[in-house]
Amino acid sequence: MSMQSWLPLLILAGPLTLGLIIFMLPENSVRTRTTLNLLAALIKLGMVGWMIWHVYRGQHFESRIVLMSDFDLAMQVGPLSVLFLGLSSVLWLATTIYAVGYLEGSPHRSRFFGFFSLCVAATAGVAMASNLFTFLLFYELLTLATYPLIVHRGTDIARRAGQTYLVYTIGGGTLLLAGTVWLYTLTGTLEFAPQGGFVRTLGQAHHADLTAIFMLLIVGLGVKAALVPLHSWLPQAMVAPAPVSALLHAVAVVKAGVFGIVRVLYDVFDIEFAAQELGVTTPLAIIAAVTILYGSLRALFQDDLKRRLAFSTVSQVSYITLGIALAGPLAAIGGLVHLVHQGLMKITLFFCAGNLAETLGIHKISEMKGVGQRMPFTMAAFTLAALGMIGMPPIAGFISKWYLGLGALQMEQNWVIWILIASTLLNAAYFLPIIYAVWFCDPPASWPVMRKPTHQETTWALLLPPVATALLSLTAGMLAALSFSPLEWALFIIHSQFWR
Amino acid sequence: MNILLPTLLIAAVAWPLLLGLILSLPRRPGIVLRLAPWGALPALLAVIFPSPDPLIEVPWLLLGSLWGLDPVSRPFLLLAGLLWGISGWHASTSISASRQAHFFSWFNLALAGNIGLILAQDMLNFYLFFTLMSLASYGLIIHTRTAEAWRAGTRYIILVMLGEAAIFAALLLAAAAAGTLSFEHARPVLGHSVWLDMILLTAWLGFGIKAGVLGLHVWLPLAHPVAPAPASAVLSGVMIKAGLLGWLRLLPLGETMLPAWGAFWIILGLTAAFYAVVIGLTQRDAKTLLAYSSISQMGILTATIGLGLLTPHAWPAILSALLIYVLHHGLAKGALFLGAGILHQSDTRSQKWVWMGLWLPALALAGAPFTSGMLAKTLLKQQTLQLPEYWAMPWQVLLPASAIATTLLLGRFLLMTAPHNPARPPGNPAPIGWQWPWCILLASIAAFPLGMGRISPFHWTGRALLDSLLPVLAAALSVLYISRSQSRLQQTAKVLNTLHLPPGDMLTVYEQAVMYILAGCRRLGRDDLPRWLDASRQKFLALRTSLDWQKIGTKLETWLAWWPLALTGFILLGLILANASLR
Repeated sequence: MSMQSWLPLLILAGPLTLGLIIFMLPENSVRTRTTLNLLAALIKLGMVGWMIWHVYRGQHFESRIVLMSDFDLAMQVGPLSVLFLGLSSVLWLATTIYAVGYLEGSPHRSRFFGFFSLCVAATAGVAMASNLFTFLLFYELLTLATYPLIVHRGTDIARRAGQTYLVYTIGGGTLLLAGTVWLYTLTGTLEFAPQGGFVRTLGQAHHADLTAIFMLLIVGLGVKAALVPLHSWLPQAMVAPAPVSALLHAVAVVKAGVFGIVRVLYDVFDIEFAAQELGVTTPLAIIAAVTILYGSLRALFQDDLKRRLAFSTVSQVSYITLGIALAGPLAAIGGLVHLVHQGLMKITLFFCAGNLAETLGIHKISEMKGVGQRMPFTMAAFTLAALGMIGMPPIAGFISKWYLGLGALQMEQNWVIWILIASTLLNAAYFLPIIYAVWFCDPPASWPVMRKPTHQETTWALLLPPVATALLSLTAGMLAALSFSPLEWALFIIHSQFWR
Repeated sequence: MNILLPTLLIAAVAWPLLLGLILSLPRRPGIVLRLAPWGALPALLAVIFPSPDPLIEVPWLLLGSLWGLDPVSRPFLLLAGLLWGISGWHASTSISASRQAHFFSWFNLALAGNIGLILAQDMLNFYLFFTLMSLASYGLIIHTRTAEAWRAGTRYIILVMLGEAAIFAALLLAAAAAGTLSFEHARPVLGHSVWLDMILLTAWLGFGIKAGVLGLHVWLPLAHPVAPAPASAVLSGVMIKAGLLGWLRLLPLGETMLPAWGAFWIILGLTAAFYAVVIGLTQRDAKTLLAYSSISQMGILTATIGLGLLTPHAWPAILSALLIYVLHHGLAKGALFLGAGILHQSDTRSQKWVWMGLWLPALALAGAPFTSGMLAKTLLKQQTLQLPEYWAMPWQVLLPASAIATTLLLGRFLLMTAPHNPARPPGNPAPIGWQWPWCILLASIAAFPLGMGRISPFHWTGRALLDSLLPVLAAALSVLYISRSQSRLQQTAKVLNTLHLPPGDMLTVYEQAVMYILAGCRRLGRDDLPRWLDASRQKFLALRTSLDWQKIGTKLETWLAWWPLALTGFILLGLILANASLR
């Protein structure tokens, strides 16, 4: 086999074996574990970078392992997979550094990092899967790999959150499986077909079946994508340690759901077929719009910082679904680019929330008064990301919103503009009071000391990742017209893969 | 074209931006604070640099950026460079040393935003710098940290966010309709767009909030006066004009005739010109009164935009009159706000001199002969002759009437601050020294008619002098008439007291509406939605537990234990499957 077919397997097998090795490492061999983790993350980043360059020049990476007749473990890396892969490898590196600092001295770190690596492997699998069967396999693996991370603390509330998570995701997975099997009985294939999908050939008689299958698949994926009313697990899962929440909200779980929706709409069903002949995209867009407003409305009244951020995720992730469901090229660009942008901004916010909790023991927004003076760089990163979430230029969120708006107008769905405006105002309403409290209110007489005192506001491992991701979300927006920016890559996907 | 001017233009934005960012760091080199007042210097240099209008393309910034100067942005840049420069200089002496780093970080960030939006020739850059300016001025408004400042700041930021959302929609619709981000290319196309009405409405709302248009002005009388004097000067002199510039950039002025929208803009503008004077006359604080004067003057500029929408063929002439008016008002209002601040910080003896200095900008705003106001108002009045009869008449009557109103308002301002007024600001025991920057500003106001008179189509005729003298004279005489007698003075004070509305006039109505909406959101977001969700979940759970699943299972098991039934079932199942596979 050539390099082209080895690379996807390597990217998958790397974290997988790393996870197994880490499980076997003794708890106190911190240095070996950290070195292995960072090395693996860097190597993966390098490999993904190499693939990005070659995909840009028109190559594809493909590997296929025959499991049984008809069901291949098939992976292909094209522009769309690379978008998700790139995001996950950059944020994996940031989260690994962060998690090392965050979990310093806490128990069960081997277990944590082991499952953490499995989770990354599963995400890579989801990104690279080139048929629905492979996708389903890694999608379920992701569910199982994240459960131990959510219940990591082992408290009652964590276990309850874990239970809710399992009930929702396994339920969703079952529906997804049912939809997939039904689809297979009709088509006899599950291979993704980026141009035109693979269900188009079925003819008029099967439209009712296809609509039902579409509903099954979307409900199954909608659990992880946190579409209302399937979102309740997400705000509960925020009891997990901050690096897990960060990964959960920015890359792994919610993005796997949304990524699945992209795959279903473009590679299984053709987007135009789904929009014009089945007419299923407008209802999906409406559900996404409702989710956007609902999440923001609920976020408005949460005093727990991570809970407010979690409801914000519910809302922001649906920007992606909305962009895809509008079924036009410009809106799809907005949706795809938000996949990356939301990841960068939301991971920053969760890192900062973790810093507050770890350094000062702050969990509530009402305790954040004047914290900007104590932790200026953390809170500067937070402010940048929050302004980006509102959609202030030149931060990444603005670019997503701009393309979503243009796309909505292109498809003559003018009502979406109102959703965007309302969402902007609601985002401002729940982020600006935090920014105000942080920078303009007087701090309390003294801050609690949680860790050994350092010269900086907190340890380097905790400070660098949020600052780096905040700067990334700033540059992603400010230099959006530069090649290899998320926006340019989304344009590349649309032009090379979806809307030729 | 040489490289110097583009460099200057970039520095005009980058230099204050850099200063503002460094000053906001927790630790910074001391030299930065000494450089901080001079953020506006590159902008000032760029505008006096004689050169054809440059255009800089920055393809990698945002979605591709266009920066440059054109005939519209030159006067704005001149005003911004002058007023920001002078205010910065003034602030370096009038702001206490311990607060300077804080003040100048916001000051320079807002300055960078203001210069940037003037130079921006495409929509996204305009929006970017408009946002930067709006957010950074929050820091200027709450600088004093008094209860009023916090209150004003909150009202301000809420309206800023509303404006941001509206401008986003306006620019988005315009970009989608025109298929370009460049203002210059979009403007001619927008007139034929199906979304034209929506674009005009959102642009009116978004930019109108900054420009203090009637109904959207409520934040302005709160925010402009609470800031320190140099910040008030730039807020009311320059930043308020950013909304106007937004209209000039986006609206299809000079391209398409829009009678209904023109009428809308004119009626709103002229109403504001008088309404703000009436409310302003009843104010008890000199700086609040000046803020109302700004609303009134912006009303005239708003109406001028309406004029342009009505008569596109006359737009070039209207535009030049409007630009001169912008420059005139900005300088005069800046001088008044700075002077009002200096008055507070001077000792009793020099207060008299400062007060006399205030007469010049006050007379200029009123439009007295030989001032910049006469020039601006006469030029503007000439443009109204282009209108159809039923529009020209009101303008010809209302413009002089507004001059009378403005004179009355500023007369009251001068009375409030007069040395013999017991209610004037008390002398400051620790006065700030001789105010060079303010004197330079006054000198430039005095020189304005000479300089501008030469390059504008203005003629010094006896008629023009008389026209500008009469309203001022009428108002001055009535002020004199009232102030001559104690009883008349008291009676007037009584009337003004009964008419008095707290600063922000309509604000209370809005506050109630906002509270109502917020309460609704709270009910929905905190109480109703979670409850509905819980109720439906409970119902689902009830369904799951109410059916006695186990009992059904046991019963089925007992049935199947009777083997003939099991056998029949088996055969039936087989037949069904066989049938299915045959088909």
